[in-house]
Amino acid sequence: MKIALLYGTETGTTEMLCEDLEGHLGGDHEVEMADLGDTDPTSLDGDSLHLILCSTYGDGELPATAQPFAQALIDAGADLSGIRFAIFGLGDSTYETFNEGSQKLAELLVKHGAKQVGDRTTYDAMSGDMPEDSAFPWAEERIAEAEPLFAAS
Amino acid sequence: MIQIAIVGAGPSGCYLAQALLKAVPGAHIDILDRLPVPFGLVRYGVAPDHQGTKAVARQFARLFEKQGVGFIGNVTLGQEGEGGTLSLSELQSAYDVVVLALGLPKDRALPLPGAALPGVIGAGQLTRHWNDHPDDSASLPDLGRRVVIVGQGNVAIDVLRILAKRAEHFDGSDLAHRHSDHIAAAGIESIDILGRSPAHEAKFDPVMVKELAKLPHMGFAFEGLAHSGAASQDDARLEALANLPAAADHDIRVTFHFGATPTRLTGTDRVSAAQFDCDGAELSLPCDTVVSAIGFETHVPGLRDDLLAGAEDAALGVLRPGLYAAGWFARGPRGTIPENRQAAQALAARIAQDLGTLPKTSKTGAAALAARLSGLTDYAGWQRIDAAELAACDAGRVRAKVADLTDMLTLAAGRAQDHPETET
Repeated sequence: MKIALLYGTETGTTEMLCEDLEGHLGGDHEVEMADLGDTDPTSLDGDSLHLILCSTYGDGELPATAQPFAQALIDAGADLSGIRFAIFGLGDSTYETFNEGSQKLAELLVKHGAKQVGDRTTYDAMSGDMPEDSAFPWAEERIAEAEPLFAAS
Repeated sequence: MIQIAIVGAGPSGCYLAQALLKAVPGAHIDILDRLPVPFGLVRYGVAPDHQGTKAVARQFARLFEKQGVGFIGNVTLGQEGEGGTLSLSELQSAYDVVVLALGLPKDRALPLPGAALPGVIGAGQLTRHWNDHPDDSASLPDLGRRVVIVGQGNVAIDVLRILAKRAEHFDGSDLAHRHSDHIAAAGIESIDILGRSPAHEAKFDPVMVKELAKLPHMGFAFEGLAHSGAASQDDARLEALANLPAAADHDIRVTFHFGATPTRLTGTDRVSAAQFDCDGAELSLPCDTVVSAIGFETHVPGLRDDLLAGAEDAALGVLRPGLYAAGWFARGPRGTIPENRQAAQALAARIAQDLGTLPKTSKTGAAALAARLSGLTDYAGWQRIDAAELAACDAGRVRAKVADLTDMLTLAAGRAQDHPETET
């Protein structure tokens, strides 16, 4: 299956997690990884499942590299109706804006027509768990959910 | 092989190493630190109850565990010929590229009469104390029941929050029980936090104030909100303040004062009052402790001032050929941890570009340091300290830090040690 791994990061943790995920999935799938900050929202590929990892920064805002992507999406008024994505959020439950970054990004993608596969999964930096322990199963579950969708199209 | 030394294993040094791994493939990078433990501000400056922020250390650990970066601890950069230290010229003769990421660890002192009175303490020193930094761990500050905090940035809010929290609020932190017991024993009743700016221009991030609203035993009052006028109705800072519970019969009363300029501190044996100018009127706050949180400066003024004065591009961190500066040491005490990540990427690109023009040499890096200095520690030494801290962890805490430098060095060297603080 073709997978586009995209990340929005502020401190680099989400980028590192995305690299780990690329290594984890790369043996079984055709995986391409990119920073959302280097991604043109109008050029997303309808043949790929987009696995998006996104942190939260400041007062529930999008992280630095997701901001230009979101702005470009809004400015272009892009139609993403052929795009399927799943999203994994990273946050810190110390703050009441916990994981709002990934939530805002998911809402924005859906607003532009993209189809979300499965529910958003969130990771809490205060939990003491390692992010890959929830991100790897998340990715595997979403890929399994998406496979019939891509097979049918 | 190109040998690169980064002095300072805090977030700026680590981010720079990450960026250099990509920008200068094939180079060998060593990160040096005065202490036998890496991560600098992440370990010793970020508040102990913000473990989510401290989790960035996992990312930096990968540099040493998987990406081939060396850690050389227990090495101090000092003056030429100063015993037990390494001079800049010695370091440059061992490495092709040297980057100074020393941070700005010293509290900027209040420029006021009375600032030297006992009972006046810097926020950085206090935060290092709570974080068990070997320089500041030993002396427990006598807090008293009335605390005045001068400054309203995020560091000031950290101090406010930790002073105001009750013992149970430190569950999941790495604040030693001796610190939480000490704070509880002080019986703090009032905290006044003052800044020159109007509320909408205060230096704290709104999210830091929102966090305070979770502590139900605190009530809040405000002075000087009028400075913000009606022009800033939608301001996120004012909104965060407005959502704090008003002071009633709470255990701790916190008062934010805006538009308050400190003028002097008074007391005989110890500070007993802090005076401020508020629109021409004098405000005098009786207090037991004054915490100054008005910024940071270098601990090596001669070195930093001289280097920046002759810098080719101080904002980017280019000092002279082969010598660079990163993070706050380069740019001053502004910007969050992630902002330094972006700056590190820009500096790494410049270093890569400069390396194309440097003459080829055969410098030996770590081997030259090992020949010159004894007692150096390595990453395996930190892992032994780390393991001891995790093993000694008490109920409700995520680690029990080793606060004594001699104990750290003993652990790092892998020798048996019997310090009670690190026993389970």
